[in-house]
Amino acid sequence: MSAGALTLSKVGVTFPTREEGPLTALDGVDLMIEGGEVIALIGPNGCGKSTLLRVIAGLLTPASGAASLDGSPIAGPDARVGLVFQEPRLLPWRTSADNITYPLELDGWSAERRAARLAELVDLVRLDASAVTARPSELSGGTRQRVALARALALSPEVLLLDEPFSALDAMTRERFDLELLRLWDGAETTIVMVTHSIPEAVLVADRVIVMSPRPGRIAAEIAVDLPRPRTLAQMETSAATATMARIRAQLELAA
Amino acid sequence: MTQDRLVTRSSVLTVIGALVVFLLIWRAIVFIGGYPPFILPTPEAVFGRFLKAIGDGTIWPHFITTLQEVAFGFAVGAGAGVAIGYLLARSALVERLASPYLVAAQAVPILAIAPLLALWFGPGLLGKVVICSLIVFFPVAISTMVGIRSVDPRLLELGRSLRATRRQVLTTLEVPAALPSILGGMRVGVTLAVVGAVVGEWAGADRGLGVLINLARGSLFDIPLMFAALLTLALMGIVLYLAVVLVERRLVGVR
Repeated sequence: MSAGALTLSKVGVTFPTREEGPLTALDGVDLMIEGGEVIALIGPNGCGKSTLLRVIAGLLTPASGAASLDGSPIAGPDARVGLVFQEPRLLPWRTSADNITYPLELDGWSAERRAARLAELVDLVRLDASAVTARPSELSGGTRQRVALARALALSPEVLLLDEPFSALDAMTRERFDLELLRLWDGAETTIVMVTHSIPEAVLVADRVIVMSPRPGRIAAEIAVDLPRPRTLAQMETSAATATMARIRAQLELAA
Repeated sequence: MTQDRLVTRSSVLTVIGALVVFLLIWRAIVFIGGYPPFILPTPEAVFGRFLKAIGDGTIWPHFITTLQEVAFGFAVGAGAGVAIGYLLARSALVERLASPYLVAAQAVPILAIAPLLALWFGPGLLGKVVICSLIVFFPVAISTMVGIRSVDPRLLELGRSLRATRRQVLTTLEVPAALPSILGGMRVGVTLAVVGAVVGEWAGADRGLGVLINLARGSLFDIPLMFAALLTLALMGIVLYLAVVLVERRLVGVR
Protein backbone atom coordinates (compact mmCIF):
# COMPACT_ATOMS: atom_id res chain seq x y z
CA MET A 1 0.00 0.00 0.00
CA SER A 2 1.51 3.33 -1.01
CA ALA A 3 1.56 6.36 1.28
CA GLY A 4 -1.44 8.62 1.61
CA ALA A 5 -4.04 6.02 2.59
CA LEU A 6 -7.02 7.43 4.45
CA THR A 7 -9.42 5.54 6.67
CA LEU A 8 -12.61 7.04 8.03
CA SER A 9 -14.65 4.86 10.34
CA LYS A 10 -18.07 5.88 11.65
CA VAL A 11 -17.14 9.55 11.51
CA GLY A 12 -19.81 11.83 12.95
CA VAL A 13 -19.73 15.62 13.24
CA THR A 14 -22.31 17.80 14.95
CA PHE A 15 -22.47 21.58 15.09
CA PRO A 16 -24.32 23.41 17.85
CA THR A 17 -27.01 25.74 16.52
CA ARG A 18 -28.88 28.27 18.59
CA GLU A 19 -32.42 27.57 17.40
CA GLU A 20 -32.72 23.90 16.53
CA GLY A 21 -30.22 22.21 18.82
CA PRO A 22 -27.23 20.31 17.47
CA LEU A 23 -27.05 19.86 13.72
CA THR A 24 -25.67 16.56 12.50
CA ALA A 25 -23.36 17.45 9.61
CA LEU A 26 -21.90 13.96 9.21
CA ASP A 27 -23.30 10.69 10.48
CA GLY A 28 -21.50 7.35 10.50
CA VAL A 29 -19.28 7.98 7.49
CA ASP A 30 -17.16 4.93 6.59
CA LEU A 31 -14.64 5.44 3.83
CA MET A 32 -11.40 3.73 2.84
CA ILE A 33 -9.17 5.56 0.39
CA GLU A 34 -6.06 3.88 -0.93
CA GLY A 35 -2.79 5.74 -1.35
CA GLY A 36 -2.66 7.36 -4.77
CA GLU A 37 -6.38 7.05 -5.38
CA VAL A 38 -8.36 9.96 -6.83
CA ILE A 39 -11.71 10.49 -5.12
CA ALA A 40 -14.48 12.92 -6.02
CA LEU A 41 -17.01 13.86 -3.32
CA ILE A 42 -20.28 14.99 -4.82
CA GLY A 43 -23.68 15.81 -3.37
CA PRO A 44 -26.26 18.52 -2.83
CA ASN A 45 -25.61 21.52 -0.59
CA GLY A 46 -25.53 20.67 3.10
CA CYS A 47 -24.48 17.05 2.59
CA GLY A 48 -21.26 17.57 4.53
CA LYS A 49 -18.74 17.26 1.68
CA SER A 50 -16.70 20.21 2.87
CA THR A 51 -17.06 19.08 6.48
CA LEU A 52 -15.63 15.69 5.54
CA LEU A 53 -12.72 17.42 3.81
CA ARG A 54 -12.07 19.52 6.90
CA VAL A 55 -12.01 16.38 9.07
CA ILE A 56 -9.36 14.86 6.79
CA ALA A 57 -7.45 18.17 6.83
CA GLY A 58 -7.37 18.02 10.65
CA LEU A 59 -9.19 21.35 10.90
CA LEU A 60 -12.21 19.71 12.52
CA THR A 61 -12.20 16.98 15.16
CA PRO A 62 -15.08 14.54 14.67
CA ALA A 63 -17.49 14.15 17.57
CA SER A 64 -17.50 10.39 17.08
CA GLY A 65 -15.61 7.83 15.04
CA ALA A 66 -12.04 8.11 13.87
CA ALA A 67 -10.06 9.38 10.92
CA SER A 68 -6.55 8.16 10.21
CA LEU A 69 -3.81 8.76 7.69
CA ASP A 70 -1.41 5.88 6.94
CA GLY A 71 -2.68 4.10 10.03
CA SER A 72 -2.13 6.90 12.55
CA PRO A 73 -5.04 9.03 13.82
CA ILE A 74 -5.42 12.55 12.40
CA ALA A 75 -4.97 14.81 15.43
CA GLY A 76 -4.70 18.14 13.66
CA PRO A 77 -3.34 19.79 10.53
CA ASP A 78 -0.55 17.67 9.09
CA ALA A 79 2.33 18.46 6.73
CA ARG A 80 1.45 15.32 4.74
CA VAL A 81 -1.86 16.89 3.75
CA GLY A 82 -2.11 19.83 1.31
CA LEU A 83 -5.27 21.89 1.05
CA VAL A 84 -6.72 23.97 -1.79
CA PHE A 85 -9.73 26.06 -0.82
CA GLN A 86 -12.67 27.08 -2.93
CA GLU A 87 -11.19 30.56 -3.27
CA PRO A 88 -7.43 31.04 -3.76
CA ARG A 89 -7.03 32.45 -0.25
CA LEU A 90 -3.71 34.13 -1.00
CA LEU A 91 -2.13 36.72 1.26
CA PRO A 92 -2.86 39.92 -0.69
CA TRP A 93 0.27 41.71 0.50
CA ARG A 94 2.63 38.98 -0.73
CA THR A 95 3.81 38.23 -4.25
CA SER A 96 2.98 34.87 -5.83
CA ALA A 97 6.49 33.66 -4.98
CA ASP A 98 6.10 34.56 -1.30
CA ASN A 99 2.62 33.04 -1.22
CA ILE A 100 3.89 29.78 -2.68
CA THR A 101 6.78 29.54 -0.23
CA TYR A 102 4.65 30.61 2.75
CA PRO A 103 4.24 27.02 4.06
CA LEU A 104 8.02 26.52 3.77
CA GLU A 105 8.65 29.75 5.65
CA LEU A 106 6.32 28.64 8.48
CA ASP A 107 8.13 25.29 8.44
CA GLY A 108 11.47 27.04 8.99
CA TRP A 109 13.15 26.44 5.62
CA SER A 110 16.22 28.55 4.78
CA ALA A 111 15.94 31.18 2.02
CA GLU A 112 18.11 29.13 -0.37
CA ARG A 113 16.05 25.97 0.06
CA ARG A 114 12.86 27.99 -0.37
CA ALA A 115 14.14 29.54 -3.60
CA ALA A 116 15.09 26.12 -4.99
CA ARG A 117 11.72 24.61 -4.11
CA LEU A 118 9.94 27.67 -5.55
CA ALA A 119 11.62 27.12 -8.92
CA GLU A 120 10.42 23.48 -8.93
CA LEU A 121 6.88 24.45 -7.99
CA VAL A 122 6.62 27.25 -10.55
CA ASP A 123 7.75 24.72 -13.14
CA LEU A 124 5.33 22.08 -11.86
CA VAL A 125 2.18 24.19 -11.99
CA ARG A 126 3.42 26.05 -15.11
CA LEU A 127 3.18 29.51 -13.65
CA ASP A 128 4.22 32.35 -15.97
CA ALA A 129 7.45 34.10 -15.00
CA SER A 130 5.65 37.44 -14.96
CA ALA A 131 3.07 36.09 -12.48
CA VAL A 132 5.73 34.95 -10.00
CA THR A 133 6.63 38.46 -8.87
CA ALA A 134 3.08 39.83 -9.15
CA ARG A 135 0.64 40.30 -6.27
CA PRO A 136 -2.71 38.48 -6.23
CA SER A 137 -4.66 41.62 -7.18
CA GLU A 138 -2.73 41.74 -10.46
CA LEU A 139 -3.57 38.15 -11.44
CA SER A 140 -6.56 36.48 -13.07
CA GLY A 141 -8.74 34.09 -11.05
CA GLY A 142 -7.22 31.07 -12.79
CA THR A 143 -3.65 32.18 -12.14
CA ARG A 144 -4.45 32.85 -8.49
CA GLN A 145 -5.78 29.31 -8.10
CA ARG A 146 -2.63 28.04 -9.83
CA VAL A 147 -0.59 29.86 -7.16
CA ALA A 148 -2.81 28.34 -4.45
CA LEU A 149 -2.21 24.88 -5.94
CA ALA A 150 1.55 25.44 -5.93
CA ARG A 151 1.31 26.52 -2.27
CA ALA A 152 -0.64 23.36 -1.39
CA LEU A 153 2.03 21.24 -3.09
CA ALA A 154 4.96 23.10 -1.50
CA LEU A 155 5.61 20.55 1.24
CA SER A 156 5.14 17.59 -1.18
CA PRO A 157 2.00 16.28 0.51
CA GLU A 158 0.87 12.64 0.29
CA VAL A 159 -2.74 13.77 0.24
CA LEU A 160 -4.10 16.72 -1.72
CA LEU A 161 -7.52 17.96 -0.66
CA LEU A 162 -9.43 20.28 -2.97
CA ASP A 163 -12.68 21.99 -1.99
CA GLU A 164 -14.46 22.89 -5.24
CA PRO A 165 -11.16 24.39 -6.36
CA PHE A 166 -12.10 25.38 -9.89
CA SER A 167 -15.77 26.21 -9.38
CA ALA A 168 -15.17 29.94 -9.88
CA LEU A 169 -13.53 29.36 -13.28
CA ASP A 170 -15.32 29.16 -16.62
CA ALA A 171 -16.07 25.69 -18.00
CA MET A 172 -13.20 25.63 -20.50
CA THR A 173 -10.60 26.81 -18.00
CA ARG A 174 -11.95 24.36 -15.45
CA GLU A 175 -11.43 21.39 -17.80
CA ARG A 176 -7.90 22.55 -18.50
CA PHE A 177 -7.20 22.77 -14.77
CA ASP A 178 -8.69 19.31 -14.20
CA LEU A 179 -6.37 17.83 -16.79
CA GLU A 180 -3.39 19.67 -15.33
CA LEU A 181 -4.28 18.34 -11.90
CA LEU A 182 -4.23 14.82 -13.35
CA ARG A 183 -0.86 15.51 -14.95
CA LEU A 184 0.49 16.56 -11.53
CA TRP A 185 -1.05 13.45 -10.00
CA ASP A 186 0.52 11.23 -12.67
CA GLY A 187 3.93 12.54 -11.70
CA ALA A 188 3.56 12.21 -7.93
CA GLU A 189 0.89 9.54 -7.28
CA THR A 190 -0.62 11.72 -4.60
CA THR A 191 -3.93 10.77 -3.05
CA ILE A 192 -6.48 13.32 -4.23
CA VAL A 193 -9.82 14.05 -2.60
CA MET A 194 -11.80 16.65 -4.51
CA VAL A 195 -15.16 18.13 -3.57
CA THR A 196 -17.16 19.10 -6.64
CA HIS A 197 -20.63 20.02 -7.80
CA SER A 198 -19.96 18.93 -11.35
CA ILE A 199 -20.71 15.37 -12.51
CA PRO A 200 -18.50 15.62 -15.63
CA GLU A 201 -15.62 16.94 -13.52
CA ALA A 202 -16.03 14.06 -11.07
CA VAL A 203 -15.96 11.49 -13.88
CA LEU A 204 -13.04 13.17 -15.62
CA VAL A 205 -10.71 13.13 -12.61
CA ALA A 206 -11.79 10.38 -10.21
CA ASP A 207 -11.21 6.67 -9.78
CA ARG A 208 -14.19 6.58 -7.47
CA VAL A 209 -17.06 9.02 -7.01
CA ILE A 210 -18.61 9.23 -3.55
CA VAL A 211 -22.20 10.47 -3.64
CA MET A 212 -23.35 12.03 -0.38
CA SER A 213 -26.85 12.76 0.90
CA PRO A 214 -27.84 15.62 3.21
CA ARG A 215 -29.39 15.94 6.70
CA PRO A 216 -27.58 14.10 8.15
CA GLY A 217 -24.56 13.92 5.84
CA ARG A 218 -24.07 10.29 4.83
CA ILE A 219 -22.47 8.36 2.03
CA ALA A 220 -25.30 7.40 -0.32
CA ALA A 221 -23.33 5.56 -2.98
CA GLU A 222 -19.85 4.82 -4.25
CA ILE A 223 -19.45 4.61 -8.01
CA ALA A 224 -16.24 3.38 -9.63
CA VAL A 225 -15.13 5.16 -12.79
CA ASP A 226 -13.75 2.49 -15.12
CA LEU A 227 -11.99 4.66 -17.64
CA PRO A 228 -8.35 4.15 -18.62
CA ARG A 229 -5.69 6.66 -17.64
CA PRO A 230 -4.39 9.09 -18.69
CA ARG A 231 -7.81 10.65 -18.97
CA THR A 232 -8.67 12.87 -21.93
CA LEU A 233 -11.63 15.05 -22.79
CA ALA A 234 -12.39 12.71 -25.70
CA GLN A 235 -13.10 9.91 -23.21
CA MET A 236 -15.98 11.97 -21.84
CA GLU A 237 -17.86 11.26 -25.07
CA THR A 238 -17.60 7.46 -24.74
CA SER A 239 -20.57 5.35 -23.71
CA ALA A 240 -18.73 4.18 -20.58
CA ALA A 241 -18.34 7.78 -19.40
CA THR A 242 -21.91 8.79 -20.19
CA ALA A 243 -23.24 5.68 -18.47
CA THR A 244 -21.20 6.50 -15.34
CA MET A 245 -22.46 10.07 -15.39
CA ALA A 246 -26.03 8.80 -15.68
CA ARG A 247 -25.55 6.51 -12.67
CA ILE A 248 -24.14 9.36 -10.60
CA ARG A 249 -27.02 11.59 -11.63
CA ALA A 250 -29.55 8.93 -10.63
CA GLN A 251 -27.89 8.50 -7.23
CA LEU A 252 -27.81 12.26 -6.70
CA GLU A 253 -31.52 12.48 -7.41
CA LEU A 254 -32.17 9.75 -4.88
CA ALA A 255 -29.95 11.48 -2.35
CA ALA A 256 -31.50 14.94 -2.63
CA MET B 1 4.02 53.73 -11.23
CA THR B 2 3.73 57.50 -11.36
CA GLN B 3 0.27 57.59 -9.81
CA ASP B 4 1.61 56.00 -6.60
CA ARG B 5 4.06 58.77 -5.92
CA LEU B 6 3.33 61.20 -3.15
CA VAL B 7 4.73 64.12 -5.10
CA THR B 8 3.56 64.51 -8.65
CA ARG B 9 3.65 67.63 -10.74
CA SER B 10 -0.09 68.23 -10.69
CA SER B 11 -0.35 67.58 -6.94
CA VAL B 12 2.44 70.10 -6.28
CA LEU B 13 0.70 72.68 -8.46
CA THR B 14 -2.60 72.10 -6.65
CA VAL B 15 -0.97 72.55 -3.24
CA ILE B 16 0.82 75.73 -4.34
CA GLY B 17 -2.37 77.10 -5.91
CA ALA B 18 -4.36 76.48 -2.71
CA LEU B 19 -1.60 78.16 -0.66
CA VAL B 20 -1.62 81.24 -2.90
CA VAL B 21 -5.41 81.53 -2.60
CA PHE B 22 -5.18 81.16 1.19
CA LEU B 23 -2.52 83.90 1.45
CA LEU B 24 -4.50 86.22 -0.84
CA ILE B 25 -7.66 85.82 1.27
CA TRP B 26 -5.64 86.45 4.44
CA ARG B 27 -4.10 89.57 2.88
CA ALA B 28 -7.52 90.75 1.69
CA ILE B 29 -9.03 90.36 5.18
CA VAL B 30 -6.24 92.46 6.71
CA PHE B 31 -6.61 95.07 3.94
CA ILE B 32 -10.40 95.32 3.97
CA GLY B 33 -10.82 95.06 7.76
CA GLY B 34 -7.91 97.42 8.40
CA TYR B 35 -6.70 95.32 11.33
CA PRO B 36 -3.60 96.46 13.19
CA PRO B 37 -0.64 94.01 13.30
CA PHE B 38 -1.31 93.12 16.96
CA ILE B 39 -4.72 91.69 15.96
CA LEU B 40 -3.97 90.13 12.59
CA PRO B 41 -0.58 90.71 11.02
CA THR B 42 -0.16 90.38 7.25
CA PRO B 43 1.22 87.11 5.87
CA GLU B 44 4.43 88.83 4.77
CA ALA B 45 4.93 90.26 8.28
CA VAL B 46 4.47 86.79 9.76
CA PHE B 47 6.81 85.22 7.25
CA GLY B 48 9.41 87.95 7.85
CA ARG B 49 9.14 87.43 11.65
CA PHE B 50 9.38 83.67 11.11
CA LEU B 51 12.63 84.03 9.14
CA LYS B 52 14.03 86.48 11.68
CA ALA B 53 13.13 84.16 14.58
CA ILE B 54 14.88 81.31 12.84
CA GLY B 55 17.88 83.52 11.98
CA ASP B 56 18.43 84.85 15.51
CA GLY B 57 17.76 81.46 17.11
CA THR B 58 14.58 82.47 18.98
CA ILE B 59 12.49 79.53 17.74
CA TRP B 60 15.11 76.78 17.64
CA PRO B 61 15.28 75.68 21.34
CA HIS B 62 11.47 75.80 21.60
CA PHE B 63 11.14 73.80 18.41
CA ILE B 64 13.58 71.12 19.63
CA THR B 65 11.83 70.85 23.01
CA THR B 66 8.38 70.42 21.46
CA LEU B 67 9.67 67.98 18.85
CA GLN B 68 11.22 65.84 21.60
CA GLU B 69 7.98 65.79 23.56
CA VAL B 70 6.03 64.85 20.42
CA ALA B 71 8.53 62.16 19.39
CA PHE B 72 8.73 60.42 22.77
CA GLY B 73 5.01 60.89 23.42
CA PHE B 74 4.09 59.43 20.07
CA ALA B 75 6.47 56.49 20.46
CA VAL B 76 5.13 55.59 23.92
CA GLY B 77 1.46 56.26 23.09
CA ALA B 78 1.49 54.46 19.74
CA GLY B 79 3.47 51.52 21.16
CA ALA B 80 1.04 51.10 24.06
CA GLY B 81 -1.89 51.68 21.70
CA VAL B 82 -0.84 48.85 19.38
CA ALA B 83 -0.23 46.45 22.29
CA ILE B 84 -3.49 47.24 24.13
CA GLY B 85 -5.45 47.41 20.86
CA TYR B 86 -4.26 43.89 20.03
CA LEU B 87 -5.31 42.58 23.44
CA LEU B 88 -8.68 44.31 23.14
CA ALA B 89 -9.26 42.57 19.83
CA ARG B 90 -8.14 39.12 20.91
CA SER B 91 -9.27 38.86 24.52
CA ALA B 92 -12.90 39.32 25.50
CA LEU B 93 -11.80 39.57 29.15
CA VAL B 94 -9.40 42.45 28.48
CA GLU B 95 -12.07 44.21 26.46
CA ARG B 96 -14.67 43.88 29.21
CA LEU B 97 -12.20 45.00 31.91
CA ALA B 98 -10.53 47.86 30.08
CA SER B 99 -12.92 49.39 27.60
CA PRO B 100 -15.11 51.36 30.08
CA TYR B 101 -11.99 53.05 31.46
CA LEU B 102 -10.60 53.73 28.02
CA VAL B 103 -13.80 55.37 26.88
CA ALA B 104 -14.12 57.33 30.14
CA ALA B 105 -10.51 58.51 29.84
CA GLN B 106 -11.20 59.60 26.30
CA ALA B 107 -14.35 61.46 27.31
CA VAL B 108 -12.45 63.64 29.83
CA PRO B 109 -10.82 66.54 27.93
CA ILE B 110 -7.05 66.29 28.04
CA LEU B 111 -6.98 70.05 28.65
CA ALA B 112 -8.76 69.46 31.97
CA ILE B 113 -6.36 66.84 33.30
CA ALA B 114 -3.16 68.45 31.97
CA PRO B 115 -2.63 70.55 35.14
CA LEU B 116 -3.01 67.43 37.26
CA LEU B 117 -0.52 65.53 35.15
CA ALA B 118 1.87 68.49 35.32
CA LEU B 119 1.53 68.36 39.11
CA TRP B 120 2.26 64.63 39.23
CA PHE B 121 5.03 64.40 36.67
CA GLY B 122 6.65 67.81 37.07
CA PRO B 123 7.32 70.62 34.63
CA GLY B 124 9.96 68.72 32.63
CA LEU B 125 9.89 66.43 29.61
CA LEU B 126 8.16 63.54 31.41
CA GLY B 127 4.87 65.37 32.03
CA LYS B 128 4.53 66.32 28.35
CA VAL B 129 5.44 62.82 27.19
CA VAL B 130 2.69 61.45 29.42
CA ILE B 131 0.12 63.90 28.02
CA CYS B 132 1.20 63.29 24.42
CA SER B 133 1.10 59.53 24.81
CA LEU B 134 -2.35 59.64 26.43
CA ILE B 135 -3.73 61.62 23.52
CA VAL B 136 -2.00 59.40 20.91
CA PHE B 137 -2.98 56.17 22.65
CA PHE B 138 -6.71 56.17 21.97
CA PRO B 139 -6.88 56.47 18.17
CA VAL B 140 -4.01 54.00 17.76
CA ALA B 141 -5.54 51.47 20.18
CA ILE B 142 -8.95 51.68 18.52
CA SER B 143 -7.59 51.42 14.98
CA THR B 144 -5.40 48.48 15.98
CA MET B 145 -8.37 46.73 17.58
CA VAL B 146 -10.52 47.29 14.51
CA GLY B 147 -7.68 46.22 12.21
CA ILE B 148 -6.93 43.00 14.08
CA ARG B 149 -10.62 42.14 14.37
CA SER B 150 -11.16 42.57 10.66
CA VAL B 151 -8.41 40.11 9.70
CA ASP B 152 -10.06 37.67 7.29
CA PRO B 153 -10.88 34.52 9.34
CA ARG B 154 -10.28 32.46 6.20
CA LEU B 155 -6.64 33.57 6.26
CA LEU B 156 -6.42 32.56 9.91
CA GLU B 157 -7.80 29.15 8.95
CA LEU B 158 -5.14 28.92 6.25
CA GLY B 159 -2.53 29.64 8.93
CA ARG B 160 -4.00 26.93 11.12
CA SER B 161 -3.99 24.41 8.25
CA LEU B 162 -0.28 25.18 7.77
CA ARG B 163 0.39 24.69 11.50
CA ALA B 164 1.46 28.30 12.07
CA THR B 165 2.51 29.02 15.67
CA ARG B 166 0.82 31.79 17.66
CA ARG B 167 3.81 34.01 16.96
CA GLN B 168 3.80 33.21 13.23
CA VAL B 169 0.09 34.02 13.04
CA LEU B 170 0.85 37.38 14.64
CA THR B 171 3.81 38.31 12.45
CA THR B 172 2.77 36.84 9.10
CA LEU B 173 -1.02 37.26 9.17
CA GLU B 174 -2.42 39.58 11.80
CA VAL B 175 0.08 42.43 11.72
CA PRO B 176 0.38 42.67 7.91
CA ALA B 177 -3.40 42.46 7.53
CA ALA B 178 -4.06 45.11 10.18
CA LEU B 179 -1.21 47.40 9.15
CA PRO B 180 -3.25 49.80 6.95
CA SER B 181 -5.70 50.33 9.79
CA ILE B 182 -2.95 50.71 12.44
CA LEU B 183 -1.11 53.27 10.33
CA GLY B 184 -4.40 55.12 9.74
CA GLY B 185 -4.70 55.50 13.52
CA MET B 186 -1.08 56.68 13.69
CA ARG B 187 -1.79 59.37 11.10
CA VAL B 188 -4.44 60.79 13.41
CA GLY B 189 -2.25 60.18 16.45
CA VAL B 190 0.82 62.01 15.22
CA THR B 191 -1.05 65.28 14.65
CA LEU B 192 -2.78 64.91 18.03
CA ALA B 193 0.67 64.47 19.60
CA VAL B 194 1.52 68.05 18.56
CA VAL B 195 -1.68 69.24 20.24
CA GLY B 196 -0.78 67.22 23.35
CA ALA B 197 2.67 68.80 23.57
CA VAL B 198 1.26 72.33 23.42
CA VAL B 199 -1.42 71.53 25.99
CA GLY B 200 1.27 70.08 28.25
CA GLU B 201 3.43 73.15 27.86
CA TRP B 202 0.56 75.44 28.76
CA ALA B 203 0.01 73.48 31.95
CA GLY B 204 3.52 74.39 33.02
CA ALA B 205 6.83 74.56 31.19
CA ASP B 206 9.74 76.90 30.58
CA ARG B 207 10.42 75.97 26.97
CA GLY B 208 8.54 74.79 23.90
CA LEU B 209 6.49 76.28 21.08
CA GLY B 210 3.43 76.44 23.35
CA VAL B 211 5.47 78.47 25.83
CA LEU B 212 6.68 80.71 23.01
CA ILE B 213 3.06 81.38 21.99
CA ASN B 214 2.23 82.39 25.55
CA LEU B 215 5.34 84.59 25.79
CA ALA B 216 4.64 86.27 22.46
CA ARG B 217 1.06 86.99 23.42
CA GLY B 218 1.86 88.08 26.97
CA SER B 219 5.08 89.69 28.17
CA LEU B 220 6.66 90.17 24.73
CA PHE B 221 3.42 91.26 23.04
CA ASP B 222 4.88 90.27 19.68
CA ILE B 223 1.85 88.97 17.78
CA PRO B 224 3.78 88.26 14.53
CA LEU B 225 6.11 86.05 16.62
CA MET B 226 3.05 84.21 17.97
CA PHE B 227 1.94 83.58 14.41
CA ALA B 228 5.47 82.45 13.54
CA ALA B 229 5.27 79.90 16.39
CA LEU B 230 1.86 78.74 15.13
CA LEU B 231 3.34 78.39 11.65
CA THR B 232 6.16 76.26 13.07
CA LEU B 233 3.66 74.00 14.87
CA ALA B 234 1.61 73.64 11.70
CA LEU B 235 4.70 72.76 9.67
CA MET B 236 5.77 70.23 12.31
CA GLY B 237 2.34 68.60 12.15
CA ILE B 238 2.37 68.46 8.36
CA VAL B 239 5.87 66.99 8.17
CA LEU B 240 5.14 64.34 10.81
CA TYR B 241 1.88 63.44 9.09
CA LEU B 242 3.65 63.07 5.76
CA ALA B 243 6.31 60.95 7.45
CA VAL B 244 3.62 58.49 8.60
CA VAL B 245 2.08 58.53 5.11
CA LEU B 246 5.50 57.74 3.63
CA VAL B 247 6.00 54.84 6.04
CA GLU B 248 2.53 53.64 5.05
CA ARG B 249 3.40 53.80 1.33
CA ARG B 250 6.58 51.92 2.03
CA LEU B 251 5.09 49.18 4.21
CA VAL B 252 1.64 48.78 2.76
CA GLY B 253 2.38 49.66 -0.84
CA VAL B 254 0.07 48.44 -3.56
CA ARG B 255 -2.31 45.67 -2.61
